[in-house]
Parts: sequence; C-alpha cells; structure tokens
Amino acid sequence: MTTAAVRVRGLTREFTRRRAQPRLALDAVDLVVEEGEVHGLLGPNGAGKTTLCKILSTVLLPTSGTALVNGFDVVRETKQVRQGIGIVFGGERGLYTRLTARQNLMYWSALYQQPTRMAKAQVAELLERMGLLERADDAVETFSRGMKQRLHLARGLIGDPRTLLLDEPTVGMDPVAARDFRSLVAELRGEGRSILITTHDMAEAESVCDKVSLIDGGKVIGTESPRTIGGWMSKYERVRAQGVPDEVLARLRALPGVSEVRVENDDEVLVSVDAEGAAARVLRTLVDAGVSAVSTSRPSLEEVYLHVIGDRGLAVR
Amino acid sequence: MIGLFLAAMRFQAQVVRREPDYLMSLVTIPLLTVAFLAIMGNAGRADLAPYAVMGAALMTIWATALFVSGELIDADRWEGTLEGVLAAPAPYQVAYLGRIATVTMISFLGLVESALIAWLVFGVTFPVPHAGLLVLTLACTAFSMVGTASIMAPLFVLARSARIFQNSLSYPFYLLGGTVVPVVLLPEWLRPVSNAIFLSWASDLLRDCLRAEEPVAAPARLGVIVGLGVLGFGIGHLLTRAVFKRVRENGSVGFA
Repeated sequence: MTTAAVRVRGLTREFTRRRAQPRLALDAVDLVVEEGEVHGLLGPNGAGKTTLCKILSTVLLPTSGTALVNGFDVVRETKQVRQGIGIVFGGERGLYTRLTARQNLMYWSALYQQPTRMAKAQVAELLERMGLLERADDAVETFSRGMKQRLHLARGLIGDPRTLLLDEPTVGMDPVAARDFRSLVAELRGEGRSILITTHDMAEAESVCDKVSLIDGGKVIGTESPRTIGGWMSKYERVRAQGVPDEVLARLRALPGVSEVRVENDDEVLVSVDAEGAAARVLRTLVDAGVSAVSTSRPSLEEVYLHVIGDRGLAVR
Repeated sequence: MIGLFLAAMRFQAQVVRREPDYLMSLVTIPLLTVAFLAIMGNAGRADLAPYAVMGAALMTIWATALFVSGELIDADRWEGTLEGVLAAPAPYQVAYLGRIATVTMISFLGLVESALIAWLVFGVTFPVPHAGLLVLTLACTAFSMVGTASIMAPLFVLARSARIFQNSLSYPFYLLGGTVVPVVLLPEWLRPVSNAIFLSWASDLLRDCLRAEEPVAAPARLGVIVGLGVLGFGIGHLLTRAVFKRVRENGSVGFA
C-alpha cells in the first residue's frame, strides 16, 4: 500500500451530550487523498466536514475507525502528524486579533519550532505571498475578513507542510480574493503539496480540485470528478423571469428537461430543469417570446444532493 | 525548547502591551496599599508599614496568577486559537509556561509600585536588612508562582463556572497564604493547610527579610518554596495533559 496523504477508514465520531441524544457527526467514513492531489470535500453545513478536519489535525479524537496523515496515525502518532500538516480553519476566529499579522505569524512559527532567524525570513515571505506585507505591522482586528483569511492561509503554510487541511478557506472572501485563493491552491499543488479542502461551494470544488468527495449527514456519498460537479451545476440550473404570459408558461412546462415551473410573488416565475441543455432551451423560449427580465442561478448544494441522491435511489454508501 | 519558551514569553509581552486590561491588578494595587497603610497608621502600628506594602504586592501577584495566567488557555479557547496551538508540533505546555512566566514577572512590578505608593502618599520608607535574601526569595516565589499558575490554567478549562471558582480561590488564599496576616496568627487548625501553600512560606520569609533579625533557617524555607513550586509544575503538567486529552475526546477544544 503506497503512502497516501490522507487515508481514512471506517472513521466514526459521535458527540454525546448531557440529557440529549448522541449526535453522529461522522458515520464510517472512508476517504483517500493521494499525494500531490487537491481533494475537495463538498457538503452542506453540518455534513461532518469540519469534524473530519479536526480529527485529521489531531484536535479531536475519533470514536472509532482509523485515520492516517502522511502515513501516521492521528491518535497514536500525533507528533509526527502535526509536523507534516498545515491547517486553516475558516472564519474570523483563530487569530490573536489585537496583535499584528507579523506577531501572529512569529508566534505560530515558534509553535512550529522554527529557529527565529529562519522564522523571520519565512514570515516575511509568506506575508508578501499573501499580499499582506504592507499591513504586516497593523493589528489584525483592523483587517477585512478576506485579509484575515489570507493570514489564516499564511499561518497554515508555516513549517512548510506536506499536507494542507483547508476547512472552508474562502468563507467571507470577496469574489476577487476567492479567485486569488484558487490561484494560490494551484500554486501549492505545483509545489507538490497534498490538499484536502472542505467547501459547500460547488463552483469552488469544480475549479480547484482533482477529485471531489460528497459528504452529507456524516457519510461520504461518493467521489466524483470536478467535471461531473460542473455538469450538475449546469444540469440543475434555475431560470427566473418576470412578466411571462400564460401561453409561454404552458410552452415552458412542455419543454424536455423542465422539471418544474412555479409562479412566485404574482409575477415572478421560477423554472427548474434537470437535464443538460434544458436551461438554454428555456432561455431561448423566453427571449423568443419577448420576455426580457430573465436571470439564471446555480442550484444550491442541497438541491443538487436531492437530485443526485434521488437519481441514485438513495444509494448512499 | 528554550527557544519556544522565550518566544512564548515575548509573545505574551506583546499581548500585554496591546491589551492593557491584563494589567488591571497593577491599577488596583495603589488602593490596597493605601488602605492597609491607613489602617495600620490609625491603629498606631506604623512599624507594620513594610508588611502592608508586601501584603498588597503579594495579593496582587496572586490575583494576577489567578485571573490572568489562570485564564490563558481558556482565553485561547474562546478566541479559537487553541485548536491551532494544539495542532502545532511544539509542546503546548512549554508555550503556556512561557506565557505564564511573563505574566508573573509583570505582576512582580506590583511590589515596586506598592513601595512607591507608600513613599509618595505616606512618606514611608523602610530599610531592607537582608536585600540579597529578599531578591533570592522573590525569585523563588516567582518560580513557584509560575508552577502554581500552571495548575490553574487547565483547571479553569474544566470548571463550568470558572469565574466563581476563581473568586473562591482569591480571598481564602490571601488568608491561607499569609499575605497580610502572618500564618502564626491564624487559628492553629488552619496551619497545616497554610503550610501546604508555597505562598505562606514565601510571605513569611519575605517579611523576615525586612526585619533586622537574621531570618531563621532561610535555606530550608527557600527549599520548601521551590519544592512546592516544583510540585506545582508536576501537577500542572499532568493536569494540562489530562485536560487536553479530555477536550480532544469531548470535542470542546474550541467553542465554534
């Protein structure tokens, strides 16, 4: 068996609480992230993504099952695991906000046992790479959310880890920052690092990952290629229109691939599709009928899951 | 290991500079000093002024250990930084000891501050007949205070009502630690409890350093202070390990 960056087998985590039913956050999860791979873990909030990241980063113990990171067991060989990973937990927390970006990174460098001189050089390099050099000596509490997220990323790269665990790293980022982040992930892959990235954003999963595992209710539903994810997004696209005459509504309902035509708020119509190319047919019909107030939107992850799991006859494994 | 300890000390100094609320006990010490000196002066016991100064300082040092050092781990938990600390390869105990050491060192400024207040407000000055021993005792006290605070920091993570727990450890320990009232003046049945607390040995020896007479059995008493400090480090180490294992088990490393 070759050493994968992450190898998880039968991983289960149950949270027990006083006077409440135990909650199963992970249910016999199997997952492999090969070396040098960017692997997405795509799932809605509460699916178990963060729980998995916490177990892989050794801050949470599993109830049962095994997890190896860079070949080391996350329960028995925590020191070796910690030496080889970088973690980015998403959100605003996790930084000493009253300190400067540089002070934060210098402390984290000490925690990664970097000699001071080396740490200074690496911190400066990371700040520059993340575009934070000009604000390096400002308190983190004055940073925008996107800047804080970039600082989180810089922190994750301290110690030059082989494997990166990125838990919702683009939460709160504006579209430009999110695009820059995607370029950074590509760069990190180019450096030979393995990356496990959790997200509930299908577009993100499609654009940065080599493989995407779908997770929901603590179970991995399956692993797909990013191309398949992209296909789902277009397949289950939604079209909104205003001022659609009744006879056009009837024509829309008759189009192949249209699963639902719903009139909302008196004048607004929502058309759902479930076949490749159906959205284009709906748009053409509307435009030909002289309807100009038209927009398309991507389906939510929950909607896609409903379609996908439904199509598979709830073949959850 | 030493590099990490020093880096953590430096880090905590930066935190204190940016968050002056860490220095709150240094703000209240003038009030304590003034109150004690006023009471002793009015009681016609101006000779006890050095005790008042030392007492206010020791109370401040203990309060800082309790309310600042004791909260370092829990504060990290609230900030969401504990997860990162725990997932880093360095021994987190060393990092927290470094941070506690800085807090303790800063709290000792309370002694200087208290002496200055005594001089500025009441014109009280006092000789230090055993200055060398005083410095050595202060160093041993600081060492043991770090060891004792290393017990508090993980303990308050476990406590459901940490604030109540902290408050309950303040005044009883001022008393049992003999900070203002020497332990020999306490009821006899309390003395065995006092003797198990390094602070009572430190308070007595520090006061003896301010008296003209040669302190009795100073090396042995220093040994007890350091010994109890070492015991504190040991208990703190085991407790920290146990607490971190527990929060990893029950999933309460962070509050997110």
